Amino acid sequence: MSDTDHPTTNAAASTVDEERVLSLQLDGITKEYTEDDGSTVVAVDDVSLDVYEGEFIVLVGPSGCGKTTTLRIVAGLEQPTYGSLRIDGEDVAGREPRERDIAMVFQNYALYPHKTVRGNIAFPLKIRKYPDDEIEQRVQDTADLLGIGELLDRHPADLSGGQQQRVALGRAIVRDPAVFLFDEPLSNLDAKLRIQMRTELNKLHDRVGRTSVYVTHDQVEAMTLSDRVVVMNNGSVQQVAPPKTVYQRPANRFVAGFIGEPPMNFFPVTTAPEGDRLRVDADGFSLVVPPAVADTVAAWDGDTERLDLGLRPEAFEDAALVERELADGETFSAHVAVVEPMGPNTDLALRPIDRADDEAAEFTARVANETDAAPGETITLAVETKEIHLFDPRTGENLLA
Amino acid sequence: MAGPAFTVEQYRRRQRLWNALESRYVVHLVLFLAVFFIVSPLIWQLVTSFKTQQAVLDLTYLPAEPTLAAYERALIDRGFWRAVVNSVLIASASTVIVMILGTPAGYVFSRFRFPFDNAVFVFVLFTRLFPPIGLVTPYYRIVTTFGLLNTKTGIVIANVYLWLPLVIYIMRNFFITIPQALDEAARVDGCTKVQAFRYVVFPVVLPGFAAGTILTFLYSWREFLFAFTVSTDLNSMTIPVATFLFVGDAGIDWAAMAAAAIVAVIPSALVVIFFQRYIVVGLTGGLKG
Repeated sequence: MSDTDHPTTNAAASTVDEERVLSLQLDGITKEYTEDDGSTVVAVDDVSLDVYEGEFIVLVGPSGCGKTTTLRIVAGLEQPTYGSLRIDGEDVAGREPRERDIAMVFQNYALYPHKTVRGNIAFPLKIRKYPDDEIEQRVQDTADLLGIGELLDRHPADLSGGQQQRVALGRAIVRDPAVFLFDEPLSNLDAKLRIQMRTELNKLHDRVGRTSVYVTHDQVEAMTLSDRVVVMNNGSVQQVAPPKTVYQRPANRFVAGFIGEPPMNFFPVTTAPEGDRLRVDADGFSLVVPPAVADTVAAWDGDTERLDLGLRPEAFEDAALVERELADGETFSAHVAVVEPMGPNTDLALRPIDRADDEAAEFTARVANETDAAPGETITLAVETKEIHLFDPRTGENLLA
Repeated sequence: MAGPAFTVEQYRRRQRLWNALESRYVVHLVLFLAVFFIVSPLIWQLVTSFKTQQAVLDLTYLPAEPTLAAYERALIDRGFWRAVVNSVLIASASTVIVMILGTPAGYVFSRFRFPFDNAVFVFVLFTRLFPPIGLVTPYYRIVTTFGLLNTKTGIVIANVYLWLPLVIYIMRNFFITIPQALDEAARVDGCTKVQAFRYVVFPVVLPGFAAGTILTFLYSWREFLFAFTVSTDLNSMTIPVATFLFVGDAGIDWAAMAAAAIVAVIPSALVVIFFQRYIVVGLTGGLKG
């Protein structure tokens, strides 16, 4: 289907796989807090994760999901209640941050305001008593790498947000630590600069190539930066997978709804076999899905009669714009509520045809920008039935992942 | 409320009134009156200190022949230069002790959670909430018991008791304005907790520390109640106490008293003039930015 499935690339990937060295091992990490009223809050719940050397891991999730606490535990700024943590194979339990060979970039940069840029970048080396000429050399190299050579004698207060960000990065890379930790480093930048810095971070990682753990609530940062994404919710890991997999085969309903913009649409459905295919009946429309999907559902150990159907907005198309022959179970009609042209495509807020007045039943479709859809009218939608997701309504598990 | 709206004419009239009130003549008049009330006693005292005793009794305005004789009588003849030295020593020692204890205490209250942390902090503040005079009698007993009556140490201890809670409170508020990520960045960069404080947090809080130091010095310098309770002896009494002792004389030497008072004021005035930036910072509790 795509280049990544090419046999030679696969072979290369598997040889790399054998040589991969574990850089960071989290095993059953749990963090409990005792509130003032004596109750216990579980911020991080039994998180286990293996990070390989040179890998860029992004922890993503809504606020309060435990991603930052997990990162701070790796940094040694918090102690886990249970579980063990290894960096380069060594158990670091109880070790101070300075004894862990890590560097961290903070959300608000945490630059030392009383030191110049030079003083900031040199500080991790100075405190470790590196020789002066080596400090000088390393600071210069780092500044050149980040393009801040001109700013070395300025103070942080005199720098723009993007420049401060670079200094914070410089302070992290100057020591060449085993693991980089990033705590939402781009969230204080304006939108344009954020995208620019994201690209630069990507390039920087390609050049420096160190193990990185990056925390963000921004799914675009998670998708674009990571080798693997760790999606978290309520303190526990929902899925660990490369970004494409997280998008195409979300492990459960939470991941499906969290990754993807606009978010996935969910419909409660009943299913019934139809020949070698599967018929999916939602309130207002029916789909017939291919045998491959039907087989997977049939093999599912559990009740498959009542499920939740997940359809990404991108799985829809305006049927009038589809050139190939469309079968019966691939199309349905819907009422158009809102039309939002986005440029390359157009987002439609739609309602099932018999519930045109029910705002709660609204769902989103992303169609080609040539669409003639107009508010108040009816549209015939084509559905890419290969791209559907079916979830167990009780556990939220994805039957097709 | 559905009151009648202003007419344009009413609005303009009010506007003219406010403009008149805000004019620089009115503003300057108010400022002048304020400064007059504050400064005139000082001026009167300064003028008096240059008079002869006869000129004081004659109720003259300006001394006909300005003289430093009153300063000589106060500082040399009565030996109150020693009270000045005592004051310098006591205020300095008090300030050093208070800052050495208060700075780390403020840091701890700003950063660390420990059992009953809030209760302890409220207790620290509580010790300063009732009038100090309520403690003078028991303090006198304590000082007597430990043999500290008429000693500088007795006054220093009183100053530490008086100003330490204030400094803990001021320093805690300064530390709170410093993001905790700064300490954490320092620890990740290779510092122990103590080094993080020494190399990062303390240099950043330095303006606040200076403010605390200056306020403590000023307060210790001018403290009267406990200093008077502990000592009226030349070996240990402070200059405010010395100034007050003139009151007990039969036939008060007003000029000498004024001279002593001026001597008591000068160090404070100098500190205020040279360090006003830090004093404002200390009283308003905000580092820049």
